[in-house]
Amino acid sequence: MVLLVELHSFAHTKIKMSLDRRKVTIFGAAAAVRLLLFTAFPGLPDLLTARVEISTPVTSFKRLQEGLFLYNHNVSPYDGGVYHQAPILLPLFSLLPSSATYPAFTYLLYILVDLLSANALMKIAESGEAGSSKLYTSPRKDKKWTSHAIAAAFLFNPFTIATCIGRPTSVFTTCAILHAISKAVVGSSFTSMFAISIASYLSMYPILLFPPLVLLCFDRRRRKSQNETIYSFVIGNVIAVAGFLYSLLQMSSIITGSWEFLESTYGVQLLLPDLTPNVGLWWYFFIEMFDSFRNFFLGVFWIHLSSYVGGLTIRLRPQPLFVLTILLGIFAIFKPYPSISDTSLFLAMLLLYRHVFPLMRYTFLALSTILYATLLGPAFYYLWIYAGSGNANFFYAITLVWSLGLSILVADALFAVLRDEWEVERPEMRGKEIRQI
Amino acid sequence: MAPSLPQFSAARMRSYIFRLPLFTRSIVAVIILLWVISIQSVWNVQQWGALIPDQIGLSSMYRTNTFPLVHVGFFHAFLNILALTPLLERFEAEYGTLTTLALFLGPLSTIPALLYTFVERGILHMNTTVLGASIWVFTLLAMEAVKTYKTNPYFSLGTTQVPTWTTPLVMVLFVSFLVPNTSFLGHMCGLAFGYGWGLGYLKFLAPPEWILRWIEGKLNLLGRLPHYVSVDQKTYGRFGVLPTANVSSVSLPTDGSIGMGLGLDIGIWDVNAHASGSLLRRDPRLLKLPPYLSFLCIVIGVAWLLVLPLDNYSRKTYISENALLPGQVHTYFAGSDQNIFGGYKREVDALGEKSNVEVNDKLEEFFRASGLKVARQKYEYKSAGETYSGENIYAILHAPRGDATEAIVLVGAWRNVDGVLNRNGVALVLTLARYFKTDSRAGPQAWVDAYHDTHQSPAIESLPLKSGALQGAVVIDYPFDHRFESLHIVYDGINGQLPNLDLLNTVVAIASGQMGIGTSLQQMWQHTDSYKDRLQTMLRGMLNQGLGHASGPHSSFIPYHVDAITLQPYGEGWQDEMAMGRVIESTFRSLNNLLEHLHQSFFFYLLMQANRFVSIGTYLPSAMLVAVNFTIMAIFLWVKSGSPLDPSTKLASAGGKPSLTIIKKGDAAAIAPKEILGVRERQLFMPLAVVAGSQFLGVLPLYLFNHTPGNFLSSIFSIFAILNSVFPFIVSSAIVRYFRPTNQQYQLIKAFSLLLLGMFLSSLATLNFSLAFLVGLLAAPLTYMQPFPGRPISTAFLVLVLSLLAPTTVLFAGTYYWKLGVGEVLKEAAFGWDVWGMNTQVVVWCVWWPAWLVGMILLFGKPRDECKEESKVVN
Repeated sequence: MVLLVELHSFAHTKIKMSLDRRKVTIFGAAAAVRLLLFTAFPGLPDLLTARVEISTPVTSFKRLQEGLFLYNHNVSPYDGGVYHQAPILLPLFSLLPSSATYPAFTYLLYILVDLLSANALMKIAESGEAGSSKLYTSPRKDKKWTSHAIAAAFLFNPFTIATCIGRPTSVFTTCAILHAISKAVVGSSFTSMFAISIASYLSMYPILLFPPLVLLCFDRRRRKSQNETIYSFVIGNVIAVAGFLYSLLQMSSIITGSWEFLESTYGVQLLLPDLTPNVGLWWYFFIEMFDSFRNFFLGVFWIHLSSYVGGLTIRLRPQPLFVLTILLGIFAIFKPYPSISDTSLFLAMLLLYRHVFPLMRYTFLALSTILYATLLGPAFYYLWIYAGSGNANFFYAITLVWSLGLSILVADALFAVLRDEWEVERPEMRGKEIRQI
Repeated sequence: MAPSLPQFSAARMRSYIFRLPLFTRSIVAVIILLWVISIQSVWNVQQWGALIPDQIGLSSMYRTNTFPLVHVGFFHAFLNILALTPLLERFEAEYGTLTTLALFLGPLSTIPALLYTFVERGILHMNTTVLGASIWVFTLLAMEAVKTYKTNPYFSLGTTQVPTWTTPLVMVLFVSFLVPNTSFLGHMCGLAFGYGWGLGYLKFLAPPEWILRWIEGKLNLLGRLPHYVSVDQKTYGRFGVLPTANVSSVSLPTDGSIGMGLGLDIGIWDVNAHASGSLLRRDPRLLKLPPYLSFLCIVIGVAWLLVLPLDNYSRKTYISENALLPGQVHTYFAGSDQNIFGGYKREVDALGEKSNVEVNDKLEEFFRASGLKVARQKYEYKSAGETYSGENIYAILHAPRGDATEAIVLVGAWRNVDGVLNRNGVALVLTLARYFKTDSRAGPQAWVDAYHDTHQSPAIESLPLKSGALQGAVVIDYPFDHRFESLHIVYDGINGQLPNLDLLNTVVAIASGQMGIGTSLQQMWQHTDSYKDRLQTMLRGMLNQGLGHASGPHSSFIPYHVDAITLQPYGEGWQDEMAMGRVIESTFRSLNNLLEHLHQSFFFYLLMQANRFVSIGTYLPSAMLVAVNFTIMAIFLWVKSGSPLDPSTKLASAGGKPSLTIIKKGDAAAIAPKEILGVRERQLFMPLAVVAGSQFLGVLPLYLFNHTPGNFLSSIFSIFAILNSVFPFIVSSAIVRYFRPTNQQYQLIKAFSLLLLGMFLSSLATLNFSLAFLVGLLAAPLTYMQPFPGRPISTAFLVLVLSLLAPTTVLFAGTYYWKLGVGEVLKEAAFGWDVWGMNTQVVVWCVWWPAWLVGMILLFGKPRDECKEESKVVN
């Protein structure tokens, strides 16, 4: 008997070892590809850093360098209106050797962040939360990809690689969001709340992920707090997030010596003073806007963005992880300063829902639209900015197509999941064509 | 008579259209036919068929019948069909096909027409031509309105009661106010007849029912004609199409379920119409369409290009920037300047064979003597193992009252593109004294890069002197010593970018208008303005644009958004260098007039003569259609790969009769919808890996041909070409051996490859139209490549065709045709890559070659037979 148990555990460790080997291979290959791109093409990082599809005013690495320079010369980094990122990045990046002289350290940091994100993604995948949450188990849940496949798809996604090479600070937000979710699915709500606070501190919009995240934590809470009601649980977590945010902001004001960073970081996200083109829908709209309507439409755009949270959280109460996924997709479309880094995060999360893919109807259409936009975007940007033979409408048209492709994907995924739920309610309708009305 | 708007449904729409009765169908068909015929210009259908009051006589009485069938244009016909069809369908369903036929070919068109003619000619003394089916529309509307009035006499608008019979009147007013060129009187005549009919005064016009019944019975029309509506609906129901004669209701028990018979396609559609809203997607005929559709795309794409040189499709050039005012300024270059020019020319001849530095020393002296600021720039480029170095010299003339924010460049290369001493050109530049350089290929690039601070620093020196933003550049290439006949204008830039059309127009206007010098393009020394010559000019232009190389020193300027052209005098004539000088001076003075950068006119155009062009909107569809053909096929293959294995083939392989398949289909549609709706799981990994792998492989030849030293290029190319011809076979065998792909996987490989190709080409078409078109055309056969297991002869034939269209073969054939060495061409390409930033080879090796490779792999493929395997498992 003892022998048997030992054998069993041996076999277990062996499987674990071999699995780990696969993980090491994937991570090693991903790191190698990135290192190769960093070193073999020395012009590439700067080229990608300058691309509007990757760097936005609130995430650009170039702007970070500018802020860092000011910070290291004891000038407020928010003077001059170039730097719009969180203050805490400044002391962290000051610890690294300057990226102009020793770029290798920066490269390694960004590669590491990508690998950490992939690791968190693997944990989410392994939890099986996507297929069967506490309140709902999909009849199709057995059809799924392994966590390794999902991690590989995330790490080798060209969008992720391009983001890593272009070094925007959005990768830190991505990493924090993924960690928040990966902690939530194992029920450690405190850590999860800490991670989401970091993400919100860095980019503000992740605070909108709080409602589904707290529900996810509640569903997966540990046994000892099992008899806690949802209200006290939520209130506790609200207090936790508020505390974390307060301390982070307090720390920031100590670092920069004043509270003016609030206006330059979150104020920029809210009021959109910088209209540099990006893949989103806001910039062109607000270029065209008459000043008297500006505030009104800022309000409308923000309300629109945040209105999805409540509805989706309530409607998809049994599947909070899916609410998070869909919200990430919606943010990637409707955020004030989106970039392809948001898209890569959404696509990575979507892969967890392999089991509903057969129910999706327009995957090919949506993905080809996105691919078309990916190719035509740079071409039209070139025609506009460099060749001078196009104009801003060219690029904006393509960002519309891009958003259209993403919207189709988001809506289709939502349809598939709702259909999956509906077939549990009405088994006789399995496989029959239905229409949304 | 205002039906509540039902929710639009494609299935209901389809079922409605399929149930349209016979006469309605024929009228619609005739209207469409007449519209199609009216497109040609030989026979004026409108003139033939219209109702022209003056021409109504006994011999032209036919007009009173034909005028409702003839329309002015597409929209007219379309809108009338849209309005007429539902009304006519109701009428026919009520009265039967025969009555409708008799009425509409007789009194219903003749009487309103005669009424109209009478009023128009007799009372108003006018002669307004009318045509179109709208007269019927209003007649029918009036009938309906009267019918409605009888059941539902008033509708209330606020407190007033409005009689319902007035609605058609309101509509006539509405139409005559809002739609231009509608005949109020014509519509009123139609209405009058309609009211008359509706109130029963005109019922006598209808043929007596017993005759119709007799005809119907004798000819058995109901049995013979599809969609025929009987006179007597009481016997056969409102629609006489529920046929008893042509339906054989068979009940066959298959799989324990009941299948229904052959004639049941209508019934099945109806069942499905309620079950699903997207019937069109399921139509098997639709799935057969895409290959033909994509072939059609290619054919139309090519035909589109071929009609462009016709007068109807191309336009005459015009100057859109009014500030240019070409040829409106007095030129000062004349008379005594001839002597100065002669002096400089002798000096240049003397310097002919001296070294770069000596030449520049002397030139600097000349420039300084004219009182200009002079500077020099050294540069060095390395490409294909060779070094290209030299020194540019240039001088700046500051305008006496200018603020030096803008500048125009005049370039003269010491040796032109062919390496001949640019004798008169340099002398002319010296005389015009602005700016001067030495080498045609690398020099201008070094200078422009440095001007915009994008040069690579140690190899290329920065410019010590700069002026303002460059507005334009003109290059003189005048290498011979005699008088010339006309001007040859070279305008292609690197990667197919073109200067603003206004620059070209200005030069053409000045040369031909002010100076009386002829101009030509694309080495068309004789241009007779015929279709053939225009086409040839256009194709040469496209080829130059597609190759994307620098066609002259001006090309280097264009990527920096500096519009530039090269002027080359040619031929033996009586124009002398002074005329050339005046052309250039006048051009410069025109450019000097500009208030802002050239932006008004076109940046994308194809020229077919110095004064005839097509703009992007007109020509782009041809390249897009060629690119779209790939996308259509990709989408089609994706859908096909996901559809379940066709039951008919399964049955056929099991030895079933073809008639059974229809039953099987009907069965599946009616009893087990899951079978049809279920999407087959796609195995994506292998196809994705193959396509991604071949895309990555494309980097190899790109690297190889850009970094090999020049002397080895031709031998490396030969080795590559040989490898290239066997490589696909090896890859394909390896794939067959290790993965044993199914037919579905082959379809997916092709789908992904074509999707990428279509995507790349349509993006490229916006940047370099010609290259996208040429590559698209050469890659067009790839649309139809697929494994042909068990048909070795057709496979061998297709392999041969595809090998002839391989990038390597095309490159080789091209060099052979233009009598160039392959090594030479590749060296030039590598030079372009290193110095000019030319991207043509990226397209060839990373877009075209991978797609070609996948096509070859598909041809050699051997799909695993799934059906057989299934039966094996069963056995």
